[in-house]
Amino acid sequence: MTSLVERYLAAAMRGIPDRQKADVERELRSSIADAVEDRVSGGEDRVAAETAVLEGFGDPTRLAAGITGRPLYLIGPDLFLVYRRLLVTLLSLVVPVVAVVAAAAELGGGRGYADAIIGGIGGGLTVGLHIAFWVTLGFAIIERVDAATWDRAELKEVTGPWTVERLPELPSRTGVSLGDTVTEILTTLLSIGALLFLRGFTLPAEASGDPVPLLHSGFVGFWLPALIVGFAALVGLEVVKYVVGRWTMPLALGNAALQLAIAVPAVALAIGGSLINPEFAARIGWPPLAQGTGPVMLSIAAASLLVACWEIFDGFRHARRSSSESEATGGLTA
Amino acid sequence: MVDPELLGTHRQELRRGTVVLACLLALRAPGYGYGLLKTLERAGIPSDANTIYPLLRRLEERGLLESEWNTDDTRPRKFYRTSAAGVALADLLMSDVTDLAASLRTLNGGDIG
Repeated sequence: MTSLVERYLAAAMRGIPDRQKADVERELRSSIADAVEDRVSGGEDRVAAETAVLEGFGDPTRLAAGITGRPLYLIGPDLFLVYRRLLVTLLSLVVPVVAVVAAAAELGGGRGYADAIIGGIGGGLTVGLHIAFWVTLGFAIIERVDAATWDRAELKEVTGPWTVERLPELPSRTGVSLGDTVTEILTTLLSIGALLFLRGFTLPAEASGDPVPLLHSGFVGFWLPALIVGFAALVGLEVVKYVVGRWTMPLALGNAALQLAIAVPAVALAIGGSLINPEFAARIGWPPLAQGTGPVMLSIAAASLLVACWEIFDGFRHARRSSSESEATGGLTA
Repeated sequence: MVDPELLGTHRQELRRGTVVLACLLALRAPGYGYGLLKTLERAGIPSDANTIYPLLRRLEERGLLESEWNTDDTRPRKFYRTSAAGVALADLLMSDVTDLAASLRTLNGGDIG
């Protein structure tokens, strides 16, 4: 026996419980010797024979795992679905609550909105990482508990056996779900909130004079309220669409008109350099920020245009599909 | 032309379940690990050392094999022999394999015409 075989045996024995060690080692040793002798008697060099035999036995850790029946995975197919469901449920329940509480605590402590947002995101992330780590660790341990000492069936029953009642509903035939509507409305309200937040954003006054607002005074005076009205109309459109239950051609046309009414002024204002206060840009030392030909304004113009085009296209696409679908089902029921 | 990699995967899949049966059948006459590997190889059911040794221990734990150390030879060897329960299981599995082969032949015959 050379050091190669000894090293292999030592590596394999590391994963074997004490009560089995002597027996397993003895068997492996004699098996390796049998295989090596066979090759050597066939005229092979001893070291080459040992190398070939050990490589045939493969990774000693894997061999030991096979002998003890230990899994070579973190969480197996038996537990994976329970694990995922628990993780998703915990994350989706706890993380938002913690984020909101952390943000509220920052605000309550007299901090500004920016600190509150950072605090909320930080709190949510920290708690999310903790949940993910501990749940994963717990399941990895359960996976390694001897199946004989603890029946995993109980754990799988936590979520109950799967029945047809668990089947998710088919998406609404007309393609307007409550979830979509709520998401659209929240996104739009968020845009309004962002506009209002930016309107109030100022740099503190220098020695003399007034604070320097971020937004162009011309924009704040007329176009900003007009844009907010436009967004509010979009919220109204979403509500009407939900009540109607599907996209119709008139709704798609109304949507197109509103999108254009928002995008055209936005593009014109951006390219015209009338969005950002030039004084603000000068104060932060980057005048191109406010210029219509600067990268920021061009990006805003391009993004507004793209979003509007997509929303208009999407509206007509859905309207066409739902009108052809209602014809199809009408034909079937007739 | 069948992709050799694909063929390999499916062959392995097909054979995985038969290794247990092959061991139970072969060890109706007592044998030790390396001897069993050679026997299986000669029988046209080649297997790996890192499959066979864990498998022998698992089958022994379930009472399908019995083992005994033989120290008469120059080298001590762990001999396994299929237990009564193992023989009964092998009989059932063997008739399953025969049935399966017959069923597949029927399906195949129906296919080709």
